[in-house]
Formats: sequence, C-alpha cells, structure tokens
Amino acid sequence: MTTDSSQSHLLTDETVKHVAFLSRLELTPDEVSQSAHELSEIFKHIDRLKAVPTEGVLPLDHPTELVDHIREDEQSSTLSQEQVLQNSPATKDVYFDVPKVLGGTS
Amino acid sequence: MNPFSCKEKTECNDKERFDVFHGKAVADSTNSFHEVWDYEESQQNGRLSGCVIGIKDNIVTQRGTTTCGSKMLAGYQSPFDATVITRLQEEGALFIGKTNCDEFAMGSSTEHCYWGNVQNPWDPTRVPGGSSGGSAAAVAAGLCHVALGSDTGGSIRQPAALCGVTGYKPTYGLVSRYGLVAFASSLDQIGTFAASVEDAALVTEVMAGHDPLDSTTNDEPTIDLTSSLHEPIKGLKIGFPKQYQGEQNSPEVNEAIQNALETYRTLGATIVDIDLPLTDVGISTYYVLAPAEASSNLARFDGIRYGHRTEEQCDDLISLYSKNRAEGFGPEVKRRIMLGTYVLSSGYYDAYYNTALKTRRLIRDEYKTAFEQCDVIAGPTTPTTAFKIGEKSDPVSMYLCDIYTANTNIAGICGISIPCGFSHSEDKQLPIGLHLQGPWHGDATLLRAAQMYQSQTAFHQQSIGSTT
Repeated sequence: MTTDSSQSHLLTDETVKHVAFLSRLELTPDEVSQSAHELSEIFKHIDRLKAVPTEGVLPLDHPTELVDHIREDEQSSTLSQEQVLQNSPATKDVYFDVPKVLGGTS
Repeated sequence: MNPFSCKEKTECNDKERFDVFHGKAVADSTNSFHEVWDYEESQQNGRLSGCVIGIKDNIVTQRGTTTCGSKMLAGYQSPFDATVITRLQEEGALFIGKTNCDEFAMGSSTEHCYWGNVQNPWDPTRVPGGSSGGSAAAVAAGLCHVALGSDTGGSIRQPAALCGVTGYKPTYGLVSRYGLVAFASSLDQIGTFAASVEDAALVTEVMAGHDPLDSTTNDEPTIDLTSSLHEPIKGLKIGFPKQYQGEQNSPEVNEAIQNALETYRTLGATIVDIDLPLTDVGISTYYVLAPAEASSNLARFDGIRYGHRTEEQCDDLISLYSKNRAEGFGPEVKRRIMLGTYVLSSGYYDAYYNTALKTRRLIRDEYKTAFEQCDVIAGPTTPTTAFKIGEKSDPVSMYLCDIYTANTNIAGICGISIPCGFSHSEDKQLPIGLHLQGPWHGDATLLRAAQMYQSQTAFHQQSIGSTT
C-alpha cells in the first residue's frame, strides 16, 4: 500500500481485498468494488483532519487518562466450562470444534 | 415517592399503539414485550419498584437473547447479566425485553438491523434515529417507562431527539460498561431514555458508581444525581457556540433552540457566546477512532466460541473465520471493520489514527476552555428532525447525523437531549431536541439545568396523537 498525503484518498480494489483479508472478511467481487467506492468517499470526509494543526500535540487515546487499577490477587468465581461452551456452534466433548490448525493451507 | 407504576404501564397501554410498535421496536421475536420478566420475584420496596425498563439489545441479560441486532449473534444467550441489569434489579426494576438497534450499535437510523428496521412512533414513514432506535421508540410509544441505550457518538441523544424523549449519556466512566457488547471502548457509555429528566436521573443514579468489573469506572461507589435535581441553578451560564448555529440546521430547529434559550433567560440564565472551532472535524475524528476500536473489538466474533458459523465446508481456520464473518455481519459493520483495519495498518497509522488521537486532545482541550466560561453548552441535538426511511443511502450523509453529538464522546463529557419543540410536516408533528453538554463529572449540574427547562415547559409531556 502506498500513500500520497497531498490528495484525497482513493482505495483500489486490490487495497480493499487486502484490507478484507486482514479483517477476516470474505467479499464478493461486487462487494469489493462497492467497498472501494464507499470507503474512498468516506476518506474524502476524513481527510479534513489534514487541516488540523496537530504538530507537537500528544495523542490522547482515552478521555479520562486513567491510571491502572490493580485488584488484589484473590480467587473469585468465574464461568463454568458448561457456560463457556453453551453458545458455541460446534463443540466436541469439552472442546471447541475447529478445522485442522497445523499443516493446513494457511 | 416512587414515581413508577407497573400496573399503569401494562394496563393503560394503548392497545392499538402497542400492537403497531411493539413488533418494530423489539429485537428478535423471542425477546417479546408481552410481559415483564420475573414480576413475582421482583423486589417490591426498591427505589425502582414498578419501573418497567426496556434494554438495548447490546446489553447482556441471562433472560432472553442478546443479539446486537446481528445475524452474527442470533440466538446468543449470555451466561451472565450486565452490571447495570443487576443493579437495577436490586432496586426492583422490571424488565420487559430487549430493544432493537443498528447492528452492533453502528448507525444513526436503526435501519441497519438483522431483525428489520424500527419506525418512528411520531411518523411511521420516518426513522427513529439510532443506533438505540428501538429504545427511543419504545419509550416514545409508551411501551416502557425507561429504556437503556448505549451512546458511542450520539446513539442515545440523537434517537431521543428524533422520538421526542429525554436521552441522557453520562460522563464516561460514570456507569459500568461490564456486559455492554463493546463497539468502541473509549467512547461507549450506557445511558437512559425516559419521559423526563427526573426519571433518567433516578435510574442512572441506581446504575452509577464504581464497578470492580469495569476498571474504567470512576472510584466513587455511588453518585448523587437526584438530591438537588429540583433546585434551580442560580446564575446558570449557558454557552452557545456559533458553530452550532446556521444554515446546516433546518429553520425550525434553529427557531426551537432560540426559544429554548429564551426560556432559560426568563429563568435567570445568561447565554454566553463561546467558540468550538473543532466541531467541524468531530465526525472525521470519530470515523477514524470508532472504527479503529471496533475493528479490534469485533475480532472476537469468529464463529468458534460463539456467533454465526457457516454451513459451508472450510478446510482451514482463516477461511472459516472469513466465511463466518462474511455471512454473520451486515454491510455497515463490514464497512467499519475494514475502515478501522485500514487506518490502523502500517503506512496509515500515523496519517490517520495518530492524527485523530492528537485531534482528540485538541477537542478535549477546546471543551476545557469552553467550560471555564459556562456551566453547560447548548445547541441542537441534530440539524434536522427525523428523516424518511431509506432517505440517507450513502454512508457519509448518515454519519453527519452525529455532527453535534460525536465530540461529547471524543472528549468523554456528559450530554443530554430533551424535547424542545416540534416541526410540522405532512400533518405530522416531528420532535426537536435541545442538546445540553456538561463537563467531566458535571452530571448533577447538567441534569439540574435540564430539569430547570422541563419544570417550565411541556414538550416532554406531549404524547403521540395529541396536538400542540
């Protein structure tokens, strides 16, 4: 992916396919071209940010600038194995059932 | 005295109105509003005994399902209750069901929902706003006294304005988010829809205070929002930014806001001119930060531990994830996940995400300066009244619905929308909302200022079908 900060952002189909892969979303060819168009339109609006003078400003990732609360390391109740598995679409015995992870194609 | 009566709410419901709206406002047919949950076991002497509450479908409950308006979570049954549910129950609140919302709270019209769209009770051809549109419509239609919502960029205040009810987003950290399905964790806040500021304050007071299960809640175990609610604020200073005025608003909205400010003047308040020049870049900032956080938060929906699973055969894990998510998520959610993934990807992190975080600090600082000059900031909640279903088909025009509300979340301050007038269109009355914003933990002042207005006006008492 390359960036050109001088002009408004246009996403190509190739970029959308890559972002969809990173997002773990399978898109149809129509969805790819529609997303490229829609995301480009959204970036036209987002690009207003470029006019904000942010040099030397510290990023703020949280409104409260919280400090960590560390609780006592005490035993407490948690979900049972049954509860953890109850919403899974596929289980086997006491496990989540998934395709082969090692030695696969990915 | 407890102001709520369950008997009144269930027996005096306008049957016809109930039938028209209950199916539309309620998420997932298994979450019906036909009877209150666990009435027999409910606490009879609590502060909320008899108070019937609807719950936005992104707040988890052991009863019923929690679907976030998504096929991804169709049938999902939470093994635990959100902290707010437990606290409300302890004070005798009764729950009547889950309310419909835009999928994963992403939207401003409650049109993006797997279970169908919600209609505005004032005009069924129009949207109720969103994303908490089901909650707003349920309170407006009289299906419950109070409804819970979540507000990430305006998702309580905007639908409250469009449905003519009171919608309150507390300061970030006032109410526990434990059990709220996360959209954008640094912006999300649970709040209330009610018929009055009084009801919203009482219900929020019950929910508020430190929760060991949410480390972003503030330290105080309880928060007083009600003891001085009815005391008018002497010398109240209301900031009115020039950026909230002008042609971007409909003439009727501008007029209603001017009238509201005039009401405050007669109550002894002073209107102060203030400047919030970054109002205009709020939506740009929001649409970098919120999707970035969403792309991370929604990574959990993989269809393995919970969530939709494809029936197609997948040989490897990545194609299983990708198919589950492709089938489970709707178009707006996919769009935001991709947007967020993109702004966080290498090469764009600095240009977008980091720039948005820096702008966030500037927006917060701008509010800090403003609140040195005034107690609360006033303006319209939305530039226009409720728009037609299907009217805003391109994403950006929908995003701009939150132009006056998104910065509240970016800064983490509190805000409330209260009814302040009506516009008239095609023989229908459409509500207009007055938006008040207060400083960090200035919730008691914000609510007092809002209560001052409701003590002098009757817009919030107007019900559907009555005339002005």
